[in-house]
Amino acid sequence: MESFNKKPIFAAMKLRLQNSWMFIAFFIGFFLFWEYAVIWFDIPRYILTPPSLIIEKGAADLDRLLYYTYVTGVEVVLGYSIAIILALPLGLAIAFSSILKRTIYPFIVCIEMVPKIAFAPLFISWLGFGLLPKVIIVFLVCFFPIVLNAILAFNSLSEELTLFSRSTGGGVWRTFFKIRLPAALPQCFVGFKYAAINATVGAAIAEFIGSDEGLGFYIQIVTGNMRPDLAFAGIFFLTLLGLCLFGLVTLTERLLIPWHISVRRG
Amino acid sequence: MTHQIEFSAVKKVFGTGPGAVHAFGPVDLSIKEGEFISLLGPSGCGKSTLMLMTAGLLEATEGKVVIGGSEVTGPQTDVGVMFQDNTLVPWRTVRGNIELQLEMRRMSPQDNKNKIDQLLASVHMEDFADRHPYELSGGMQQRAAFCQAMIHEPKTMLLDEPLGKLDAMTRERIRSDLQKLWMQKRPTVIFVTHSIEEAIQLSTRVAVITPRPGQIERIIDIDLPFPRDFEVKNSPEFTAYVRETQEIFRGYGVI
Repeated sequence: MESFNKKPIFAAMKLRLQNSWMFIAFFIGFFLFWEYAVIWFDIPRYILTPPSLIIEKGAADLDRLLYYTYVTGVEVVLGYSIAIILALPLGLAIAFSSILKRTIYPFIVCIEMVPKIAFAPLFISWLGFGLLPKVIIVFLVCFFPIVLNAILAFNSLSEELTLFSRSTGGGVWRTFFKIRLPAALPQCFVGFKYAAINATVGAAIAEFIGSDEGLGFYIQIVTGNMRPDLAFAGIFFLTLLGLCLFGLVTLTERLLIPWHISVRRG
Repeated sequence: MTHQIEFSAVKKVFGTGPGAVHAFGPVDLSIKEGEFISLLGPSGCGKSTLMLMTAGLLEATEGKVVIGGSEVTGPQTDVGVMFQDNTLVPWRTVRGNIELQLEMRRMSPQDNKNKIDQLLASVHMEDFADRHPYELSGGMQQRAAFCQAMIHEPKTMLLDEPLGKLDAMTRERIRSDLQKLWMQKRPTVIFVTHSIEEAIQLSTRVAVITPRPGQIERIIDIDLPFPRDFEVKNSPEFTAYVRETQEIFRGYGVI
């Protein structure tokens, strides 16, 4: 493990800063333009507010925002975790069973074509305004990319490694833990990351449709009250939530597969 | 019991019905213990197919392969295999990859530490034991793969164009290492190649295989002393073997 990332952390950060100054400059420029464009073009405050006001008003309503971030966070983490816990074994089972591959697999591919968000109103009407329908919708959004990537992952061992492991007489379990599983991890993480990006989308839309707390609920209510400043504050915390989940998954990826090309290049 | 490999009327057909492809055979061949035999032929002639059938990794459609008196019916474990694309896994170091071969066979990596070191040294890889495959050049990767394929001291080594992707100079150097290792440990080697020179330089016998369906056109005994270094290739005997082989392929319109 030590041989990876030999660069000292500060040197690495400095390098990253040097490489990304243009992006940072653009980023700052974008917000400056936003700030002054609202004033110059005399845009009414109930349509769009400058970033400075978003920070000010958001800070004033921080308690509520933090509590709703927590509420939405619980929905996201639960739905996402349950999706991983169920999708990974199912993906594994489908990858290794020709019967499941002919039955459940095409079924999953068909369901994947259906926009899962379209089920949201149904689940709300069946299960009410509480936590459960939101968790189910986050779960639905996350489940399919994880299961499909897992199937791909466990089915893509190279011909050479397959022949090699058979020639050792290593048996199913040793082959799985020593070769198949580590070889499958990079593709599994493609699914985990894709699902992580979509998890907050699922939670926000579920809350739009029917809820009495959470960031999606907050954004909808304040928008109705002509408060785009607070809506943007809500969007900011929703983004933060998504970034935290994605960051956690990326960190896990770095720890588990430091050898993979995507991690080494990153 | 000598560890002889016998092929009798071995034939391989892929698929069935009108779309079936007759890939190989029928072939009869007998390989003596400790021999270095090359299967030489153009691509798609079934050399690899024959090799995989020897390892029990592919079933013959007809005929049988017998190793050391017993018929091959499933994967053989007393073999070391090597392919053009090596079987080094990217999450392990060179040493870890060699240990993988041992671990898969329930052999202890600790007990074999010295053996791993010796083997690495014999292919000039002792300084790269703790490197990961992606930190190495293609040639070094194949050297590491040799160690992985040999660490359990198999009686038979099946090498499927192991030098196929390397540049000419690296090939030359690794060939001589390979020859040295073979002379030391004397496994039976089945070496698949489409390089005429490589086959003649390394082998005790060269089986010249014709295009599909692959069949053994001729088996040439290479009667040159080992070790065969670079000089041998300039000898008139070597040139004569090369010419003899070329004539066969020219007859088939391959070259």
